[in-house]
Amino acid sequence: MSTMAVTQAEADPRRFLRALASQEALLAIAVIFLAVAVGLYNPRFLATRNLSDVLLGNAYIAVAAVGMSMVIVSGNIDISVGSLIGVLATLSGTLAVNGVPIIVAWLAPLVAGILVMALQGIIIAYLRIPAIVVTLGMLSILKGGLISVTGGKWITDLPDGFHLADTELFGTVPMPVFLMIVATILAAIWMRYSAPGRAIYAVGGNAEAARLCGISQPRTVVMVFALHGLFAGIAALLYATQLRVIQSTVPPNLELTIITAAVVGGVSILGGVGTVIGSTLAAILIAEIASALVFIDVSPYWIRAVQGVLILVTVIADILRRRRMAGA
Amino acid sequence: MTMASDQAPHDTTAPPILSVRGIEKSFPGVRALTGVSFDVAKGEVHALLGENGAGKSTLIKIVSGVFPPDRGEVIVDGRPVSLTRPDDARRAGIATIYQELLLFPELTVAENIFMGHAPRKGFGRLDWRAMRDKTRALLASLEIHDLQADRVVGSLSVGNRQRVEILRALSQDARILIMDEPTAALTEYDVTRLFDIVRKLKARGVAVIYISHKLDEIFAIADRVTVLRDGAHVATRRVAETDASTLVQSMVGRKIESLFPKITVPIGAPVLEVRDLERRPLTKKVSLTVRAGEIVGLAGLVGSGRSELAQTIFGVTPAEGGEIRIAGAQVAIASPAQARALGIAYVPEDRGTQGLVRAMTVRENFSLAALGKVALGGFIDRTAERKLAGDGVKRFAVKTSSLEQVAGKLSGGNQQKIVLGKWLANQPRLLILDEPTRGIDVGAKAEIHRLMGELASQGLAILMISSELPEVLGMSDRVLVMREGRIVAEFSREAATQEAVGAAMMGSHNAEQAA
Amino acid sequence: MSEIPLPQAARRVAPWWLTRHETMLAAILLVALIVLGALNNRFLTLDNLLNQGRLTTEVGLIALPMTFIIITGGIDLSVGSIVGLCAILLGYSWKNFGFPLPLAIAFSLLVGAAAGFLNGLVITRVKVPPLIMTIATLALYRGLAEGISQARSVRGYPEWFYFIGQENLLGVPAQLWLLLIAIVIAGIVLDRTTFGRTLYAIGNNETAARFSGLPVDRAKLIIYTLSGLMAALSAVVLVSRVTTTRSDMGIGYELDVIATVVLGGTSIFGGVGTIWGTVVGLAMIQLLKDGLALTGVKGDATIVVIGTVLILSTLVASSLQRRRDGV
Repeated sequence: MSTMAVTQAEADPRRFLRALASQEALLAIAVIFLAVAVGLYNPRFLATRNLSDVLLGNAYIAVAAVGMSMVIVSGNIDISVGSLIGVLATLSGTLAVNGVPIIVAWLAPLVAGILVMALQGIIIAYLRIPAIVVTLGMLSILKGGLISVTGGKWITDLPDGFHLADTELFGTVPMPVFLMIVATILAAIWMRYSAPGRAIYAVGGNAEAARLCGISQPRTVVMVFALHGLFAGIAALLYATQLRVIQSTVPPNLELTIITAAVVGGVSILGGVGTVIGSTLAAILIAEIASALVFIDVSPYWIRAVQGVLILVTVIADILRRRRMAGA
Repeated sequence: MTMASDQAPHDTTAPPILSVRGIEKSFPGVRALTGVSFDVAKGEVHALLGENGAGKSTLIKIVSGVFPPDRGEVIVDGRPVSLTRPDDARRAGIATIYQELLLFPELTVAENIFMGHAPRKGFGRLDWRAMRDKTRALLASLEIHDLQADRVVGSLSVGNRQRVEILRALSQDARILIMDEPTAALTEYDVTRLFDIVRKLKARGVAVIYISHKLDEIFAIADRVTVLRDGAHVATRRVAETDASTLVQSMVGRKIESLFPKITVPIGAPVLEVRDLERRPLTKKVSLTVRAGEIVGLAGLVGSGRSELAQTIFGVTPAEGGEIRIAGAQVAIASPAQARALGIAYVPEDRGTQGLVRAMTVRENFSLAALGKVALGGFIDRTAERKLAGDGVKRFAVKTSSLEQVAGKLSGGNQQKIVLGKWLANQPRLLILDEPTRGIDVGAKAEIHRLMGELASQGLAILMISSELPEVLGMSDRVLVMREGRIVAEFSREAATQEAVGAAMMGSHNAEQAA
Repeated sequence: MSEIPLPQAARRVAPWWLTRHETMLAAILLVALIVLGALNNRFLTLDNLLNQGRLTTEVGLIALPMTFIIITGGIDLSVGSIVGLCAILLGYSWKNFGFPLPLAIAFSLLVGAAAGFLNGLVITRVKVPPLIMTIATLALYRGLAEGISQARSVRGYPEWFYFIGQENLLGVPAQLWLLLIAIVIAGIVLDRTTFGRTLYAIGNNETAARFSGLPVDRAKLIIYTLSGLMAALSAVVLVSRVTTTRSDMGIGYELDVIATVVLGGTSIFGGVGTIWGTVVGLAMIQLLKDGLALTGVKGDATIVVIGTVLILSTLVASSLQRRRDGV
């Protein structure tokens, strides 16, 4: 009996470490492996310019995926974030163009993002309308609203200080990449070490049990959506300050890319598990794949199909894993 | 209060740690508890015994703060407490472990234990190290050596998951621990370990309310036992001063009302033959036969595997081993649709969830299992459907204002008649009834019994699962007893008595095959 | 437990059909028609109304199986992507594979059905929730559309093909006939067949439906396949109407379709809904778009209103339901 206990005690930490690191480690390995593989085929892929472009151009997706991961871990879904980012970016640019102090133009999307998402959270949590209906409706309101307000015009003539991407910290790290890393790390720490952060996992894992532990599901859901809005605001800011112009639309199906990043990053679509480190790595991986397609002479029009396969396979694998665990 | 070493660890002369007085609770259409009172002493293991529907879970939910009673009070350590939210119960030192474990499968053991009250460091940061250390301390205090604080709960066995729940209760300084059917899904080994833990808790002065149907467990671990029946308190006895048959009598003994007299019916060929049927976890090599015109009663305590057997025969949880023959021909039943096509009907135990579609009308429910009979080429013939439902309402005396009445608004008895009626519309040859008269008033009960006799005389084979011994004894041609997934006894109508059947249900050595 | 007698059911104040959601909606529809007719004297002409009908076909065809799906408590978000995929394959197989156009049309319909079948298969076998599965296929099918088409459009179809989308048959737009026939069939199936009854049972209490021997998984498989098939049909009609195929076709259809179904009284929680309601919902949404166009609001901006309508009608239906249940 005692030897059995000892060997089990030995085996578990190893097993635990392996389990904990697997999704994130796998993603990191995949990122490196892909870079090496494509680089061998076409060395220009590994040029610093290209790699930094990939990171710079997609940092905002990783930031948005942080907030989305939280929403999905809590057991909900949001498909309005793509349109929201478009609206917030335009908001920011419009303010900047109209002479508002740059710092206000930067903070406005954050505040607006929090408000819009918190509103959705309230409707979902307290009025108990399914998240898919609320966010589908909101997606349309935002998308249509943006088009009718901007008329499809792009914002040009942005003041010089506006472009965050121009700033480089410590001489080499562009601001967007820095923000992406900081946002991810702060969110990861918060989700691991704070009580409200753990409450998200509880509510998403077993809402009834969470209630009996004294955790209010409605309040947690509203909080999660508000945070999601904050990260969406930061993402919008990065998107707005990327180029010399702000386009009138965001990339189509942006919310799907963000959801894919979260899910492939290890966030189970049923809630209760997953980390933002995984989602950031996954966002980087997806961006890398998109770029890689070009360098291996595959048409970039296949990127969405690749995303689709990734999300489908990940979701099926996750559901099968859950069913096996439940049946154990 | 001094405690001599040879005195029982609990002292019933001291004020009880928990006391419930005159608890009443009603739900729409049902009086769940009618004035229940009992006490639990500090460090006592107090068993709560009763059939399904006796009111145990309602009582427990009231003590756990899930909802307040309509009348009556709960007194903890001499002070009345108001329990309107689960939090109130927790603060009063009451912890409950439900049958359906309320854990977070993707989180670790330590986190599950401390969710909602985790130790903190500066800045309100969760102190994971302290969490792990405290978890290890808790594990050691109960001498559990095969569980690590960092294991993900989803990967644990049922026994270990339950231990996590117990530890969670301890981490919140519970003084009263309520365990609802704790051994339902445990292996024998886990049961032994559970008893070890319960004894350790006793030694610490924690009172345990132990809800179980397993009399041998109650005799092994409990100090006193309270029996509930039909929402009322029947008896509280010291376990050392009573025996199993007295307890069973208290649980199921009722005035044997005038049941419909049994008609002797010619018994024909076997309709259902089951040989060595197996299905994890609770159907273990079961063999039985039911003949045309015969009513076979299946008795046993809750958890003995009767409903599981019925659902395997009916295809809800298809068999993994053994064979089933219908009218002599071997069949494989993989779905209820197949069972229905073979002429098998199943009136389930849980009529609200499994038997009836509450939001649909009486007419629609009546035809639900027999849509083919009222449809031509897929098109429902409204006239035929109305006739079918109308005939059914008349035949079963369903009290409803119209065929278009929403079924969920009818009384329990009438709902049950609809469930029964919908299956009979299919003209089955085998009817499996699972607790057919539970929660039904006396009048409707008698009607259903009369009906069963009538159906048997028409050549239907009937397998009746029931926990009410008078019903089993009064209606059956033969009585089978199940225990822990096996058929352990068979009695002919003459040999079946409350004592003999009750003994077989509990598993005393006197259970024998009767001629 | 002992039983206590229940109170008598309250006497109904108004006939049942008067208080139903669909009737109220139809009344609003009538009012809206009159108002729009007053604002624009060309509105109530037969010509114009028929043309409105022409425009509703593409969404309407998909809204029919979506009604079935939502009644069972499911959802299908991939319909827009299936439209795009089938439109692309119609053009691609005709131009690149050299299929004769009728064969290309049949091929496109087959692909749509297969796409829906895949949804249904994973939903019933692997037990992935419908919401999640169809979000994944929304991405996958759109991705396939973009990849196969390489963002190139196909034009130059033979004249006879444009008949479906643009011409009239006996004075009524050709595709409207298609929609009307589909409505009648769907309405009859849902209201009068065992299949329809099965769908309502699944939506109200799937466990009891299974325990009653109803073929639950088979029914689900059928409705998701139908959804894909109708999306494909809608794609054919769309291509015929706009004379070209593009990979961004069908984007946003899921919003219109779901809003139509929900507005028409089908509860997002399942168990309740009719084809008649969906038809009224369809007409209402079209009228809404007309009304907006009259006030100068153009195409893209109308989705703001549709989105608001979706949220509001779910709110209203949900609170009415809660009051009915006595919560």
